[in-house]
Amino acid sequence: MSRWLAEALAVAAKDLRAEFRTRVALNSLALFALTTLAAVSYTIGPYRLATEDRPFLLSVLLWIVIFFAALAGLDRSFVKEEESHTAPLLRLAAAPTVVWAGKLLYNLVLIFALMAMLAPLFCVLMGFEIAMPWRFVLVLAAGGYGLAVITTIVAAIIAQALTRGALFSVLSLPLLLPLLIIVIEGTTAVATGDLASYSESLRAIVTMAGAMTIVSAFLFPVVWRD
Amino acid sequence: MRVVFRAVSGEARPGEALVITGPNGSGKSTLLAILCGLLRPTKGVVRYRRQDGDDLPRDEWGRHLGVVAPSMAVYEELTALENLRFYARVRGLALEDAGHRALLERVGLDPDRSTPVRGYSTGMAQRLKIAQALLHSPSVLFFDEASSNLDPSGQDWLEGHVRLLIDEGRTVVLATNDRREMTWGSRNVSLVG
Repeated sequence: MSRWLAEALAVAAKDLRAEFRTRVALNSLALFALTTLAAVSYTIGPYRLATEDRPFLLSVLLWIVIFFAALAGLDRSFVKEEESHTAPLLRLAAAPTVVWAGKLLYNLVLIFALMAMLAPLFCVLMGFEIAMPWRFVLVLAAGGYGLAVITTIVAAIIAQALTRGALFSVLSLPLLLPLLIIVIEGTTAVATGDLASYSESLRAIVTMAGAMTIVSAFLFPVVWRD
Repeated sequence: MRVVFRAVSGEARPGEALVITGPNGSGKSTLLAILCGLLRPTKGVVRYRRQDGDDLPRDEWGRHLGVVAPSMAVYEELTALENLRFYARVRGLALEDAGHRALLERVGLDPDRSTPVRGYSTGMAQRLKIAQALLHSPSVLFFDEASSNLDPSGQDWLEGHVRLLIDEGRTVVLATNDRREMTWGSRNVSLVG
């Protein structure tokens, strides 16, 4: 197990090192997120929404920004391996599950970095008050994990196709939509302080992310090899 | 569906060098990709036999095969040393940096060069690809046009090294149309275009 983990960490560390030197995915994520946030905060701002609608609508806006920023940058992990012709050697050198876990870790780092930058900025600019801040962090973390799991397996599938850009969004959407609905409910619950609804949402997010993790772990070797 | 080749059969033993030749588009690289497990043939099988006579499971092929091919690249954002460190880690090798440095020196690269591979010439990148293929001391080595981007001294070194690998009992498969590389093998297979 420790050897498997060390190999997966090596894949993630390699991707992060390469990413910090080129900053392609980081720039895509950050630019998309900041541009959308600027547009939303400029047009809607903290006071244009009715008080009773604020928790729900701001939760929707927050996750839409995160969701589309993720779609703009998280497909790079596998597409780059194929485009730069490094995938064949990686296929020969590493076990498929190691590659999958490494890429998932890399996407997790990117999505958590995006959330760490975006969520506080969104709350300040949009005046989004959270009744249960620590539980808000938990919802973000669980939702971010689910987002990373789904985008990782979809990125692996579309990396083999020619029309990658369009396919990533088309395939991700039906898989991410149920998750998006639940994380919005969870975020609304932590904003209003509704503990029962929060617990229910968190349980649903964890279940969905867990199920996608298991499905991905079994599906990935087939996608990667064939 | 286009048929690249049919009825290809044969075997190679330890210490044997097989040369695959054929005109452009005859399927040399495709055959190599099938032999090293990167492509599945529509019909037929590829088998690697262990010394105990059992077939090597497909999942373990990567540990025993080394490949140098134009369609396979190393990471150009990383330095040569970082590339070797990465491949050693994912292969679960216990090699220290001294081993990587020695290997880079052996293929004629400076291990202290901090330039990412993006700044390398094609010949230098080819030398790094050869180092990557030798990293885990594989039993079977595939060289697809391996000397194509090497300078004369690099070609001399590669020829000497391939002969050394054969003497050590490793199997070498060369896909080439280079007259010099054709002389390195003990058996030739010609694909018809």
